[in-house]
Amino acid sequence: MAKEFDLNEVEVWDGNYAASQALRQAQVDVVAAYPITPSTPIVENYGGYEANGYVDGQFVMVESEHAAMSGCIGAAASGGRVATATSSQGFALMAEVLYQASGMRLPIVLTVVNRALASPLNVRGDHSDMYLGRDSGWINTDAFNSQEAYDLTLCAFKIGENLDVRLPVMVHQDGFTTSHKAQNVKPLKDAEAYKFVGDYKPVDDMLDFTRPVTHGAQTEEDWHFEHKARQHKALMDSTKVIDEVFAEFKTLTGREYKRVESYMMEDAEVAMVVLGSSVETAVLAAQELREKEGVKVGVIAPRVFRPFPFDLIREELDRESLKAVVCMDKSAPGGAMGALFNEISAASLTTKARPMITNYIYGLGGRDFSVEEAQRIMKEQKAHADAGHITTEIQQFSGVRGPKLGFFETRRGK
Amino acid sequence: MSDKGVLATDKRGIRELGAEKKVGWDEVPQGVVLNSFEEMLDPKHGAASLKPEERTYSDFNSFTATVASWRVIKPVYNRDICIDCQNCWVWCPDTSIISRDKQMIGIDYDHCKGCGVCVEVCPTNPKSLLMFGESMDGDEALAGWPEKKKKEKK
Amino acid sequence: MVEIRWHSRAGQGAVTGAKGLGSVVATTGKEVQAYALYGSAKRGAAMNAYNRIDDKPIKNHATKMNPDFVLVIDPALAFSDDITKNDKENTQYIITTNLSKDELISQIPALQDKTDRVHIVDAIQISLDTIGRSMPNTPILGALMKVSNMYELDFFLDNMKKVLTKFPQKIIDANMEAITRAYNEVK
Repeated sequence: MAKEFDLNEVEVWDGNYAASQALRQAQVDVVAAYPITPSTPIVENYGGYEANGYVDGQFVMVESEHAAMSGCIGAAASGGRVATATSSQGFALMAEVLYQASGMRLPIVLTVVNRALASPLNVRGDHSDMYLGRDSGWINTDAFNSQEAYDLTLCAFKIGENLDVRLPVMVHQDGFTTSHKAQNVKPLKDAEAYKFVGDYKPVDDMLDFTRPVTHGAQTEEDWHFEHKARQHKALMDSTKVIDEVFAEFKTLTGREYKRVESYMMEDAEVAMVVLGSSVETAVLAAQELREKEGVKVGVIAPRVFRPFPFDLIREELDRESLKAVVCMDKSAPGGAMGALFNEISAASLTTKARPMITNYIYGLGGRDFSVEEAQRIMKEQKAHADAGHITTEIQQFSGVRGPKLGFFETRRGK
Repeated sequence: MSDKGVLATDKRGIRELGAEKKVGWDEVPQGVVLNSFEEMLDPKHGAASLKPEERTYSDFNSFTATVASWRVIKPVYNRDICIDCQNCWVWCPDTSIISRDKQMIGIDYDHCKGCGVCVEVCPTNPKSLLMFGESMDGDEALAGWPEKKKKEKK
Repeated sequence: MVEIRWHSRAGQGAVTGAKGLGSVVATTGKEVQAYALYGSAKRGAAMNAYNRIDDKPIKNHATKMNPDFVLVIDPALAFSDDITKNDKENTQYIITTNLSKDELISQIPALQDKTDRVHIVDAIQISLDTIGRSMPNTPILGALMKVSNMYELDFFLDNMKKVLTKFPQKIIDANMEAITRAYNEVK
C-alpha cells in the first residue's frame, strides 16, 4: 500500500511537478520512460515516488523513446495503468508507436512537454511536437498553466480508460513556460484524486489466462479500413465522455474545463485563436485592449485539440458581431498555412458568419510572446474588420527578425 | 489410422483461409484484439490444461482455417519405422505434426502446406516420412515404402 | 503586480531562490510565478530567473518583464549583464558586491542616474561566512525583504524554514543567519 503524500492546500509547483504528482495520485502501475528535456522531471519524480514508497508501481528504464512507448504498450496490453512523458525529438522517435497504441485502443497517458524540433537543435517550447502527433489517433488535451497540467492529467486517465473510449490521451503543456514555471497549484488530497480517477478496469488484458487474446494483429486491404473507421468513430464519440469527465471534475474542484475555452466572445468583433500558455497572455492582452481602447476582442482556445472540436469552434465563430479572426500557430508550417488556421478555416466555411481569417506563425523555438505583440496583432484584425477585407497577407510571422515575411493576399471583397 | 478423433475435430479447418465473413466497421473487434477461444479457460492452467482437440477455437483463431489447398505434395507418415524422436514435431513451421505424450500420431493435413521439412529432418533409415503427390492414397504409399538402404561397400 | 528579475549564474541557486520566495508568498494567499530562462547552458553560465507576485491569478506568460526589483546575485554580472534592461522609473536594484556603493556605481554607467535606487549587500561573503559556501540566493532574499518591505523579517524567516524542511537543521539555521545578516547589512 502506497504511503500518503503530505500536500498543502496551495502548493507552488511547476508544470512538470504538477504532472508527476497526478501520475502518483492515479497510482500508475508502469512508467516506461526515456527522459528528455524539458519533460525529464515528470518521469524522474515518478521514479522517486516509487523508490520512496509513494506509489505501488514499476519504473522501466529503456533505451529510447521508441522503446519507452513500446514498453508502455506491452504493460497496457497486459492490463496495467500506464503513463510516460516526452518532448520534441523523443516524441518524434515515439511517433511510429503512438499509432500502434491508439490502434490497439490502449488508454496510455502521455504527458507531452512541448518543445521545438531540430534542426537547429533547441530545447525551448513550441508546438512542433504537438502538431507532429495530432493525427496519431490520440485524444489531445492542452494545459495552459501548472494547475491545468495537474488537473488535465488526472482527467486524462478517467477519459481514456472509460470503457466507451479506450483510447490513449496526451496532455500537452508548454516547455519551460509551463513546465519550469512554478505557480500556485491547488492539489486534491491523495484519496480524493484516486477516487476521482477510479480503479483501472482491464479490457482484453494479456495476463488474463482464462481468455487468451492476440494483440497487434496484421490486417491488409480487406480488414484495415474497417478497424481504422471504428477507431475514428471511437475518437469522435469520445467528446461525450470528455464533457462528462470535465463536468465531474468541476463538481469536485470548482475548476471548469471545456473542449473549447472562450473568453469575452459574446460581443467580440475580432478574435484570436491560440493554444498553450499563450492563451492566458492573449486573454490578458484582450482584457487590457478592451479597457484601454474599447476594441471588442475575444480569445478562443481549443482545450481539446483532438478530437478536433469542430462543433464548438463553429459555435464560437458563428456570431454576427465577429468579423476577423487570427489563428496563431506555434509550429514551423513547412510549406503550408498553419494547422490551426487550416482547421479553424474549415470549421468556419459552413457557418453563416464566415469571418475573415488570417494566420500568424509565432513563438518558434521559445521566442517570447508578449502582451504588446498580442495587442498589435489584435488591432490588426480590427483594421481588417473596419476595412471589410484582409488588409495584410494572409499568413504572417510574429516576432521574427529581418524583412517582413508574408504569403498570399485575399481574393474576397477587396 | 486409429486416432481419427485427434486428427479431425469439428472446428479444425472448417473454412479456407480468407473466406471468413467480412463484417463492417461496427462489428470488428475493438483494438483488433482477437480472442483465441470461445469459452473461458481454467484460470490456473489456462490453455495448457486442454489438449488442442479439446479447445473451442474462436472464428478468429487461424486453427479454424485450412490451407490444405495450398499443397501440391504431401508428407505420408509410416508408424512402423518411426522412433518418436520428435524432430519433425520440433521443425514443422505450421504445428502440423500431431504428437501426444511424445508419441507421433500423424499429420494435420488441414494446416500442412507440404514444405517437406519433416522429411528432411527425419533421421530413420528408411525415413518415416516421405513426400508423395497430393492425390496419392495413403495406404498405397505405405505399401510401396522403400527398403532400408545398405551402406555401399568400397 | 510585483515583478522581480534575478541575474545569476547557473548553480548559484537563483531558481531555488525564486521558487522559495514564491512558496513563502503563496502562503499569504497571493498568486506567484517563479521561472527561469535557461537553455542547454551549463553551471557557471549567466542566466535569469523571474518572479511575479499579484493578488489575482497571473495570466502573463511572457518572459519579458518590466521589473520592480532586480536582484544581481553574482558580482561580475553587474558589469557584464544588461541589468537595467526593460526597467522602470522606480526599479530597485539589489546587487551583491564587495565594493562600496560609490565604487560600484562609478564603474557601471547604466546605474549612474539611479544611484538612490541601488542597494548593495555582499551576499557571497555572507553565504561563505554562514552556509560555508558561495550560495547567495537566500541572503539576497533577506536584503529584498528589507528594501521592499514585503514582509517582516521574522515572518519571512518562519516561512522560509518550512520551504527548507528537506535540508538538515544545520543548513536551515545557517540560511536563517544568512538571511538575517543580509537584511541588516544591505545598504
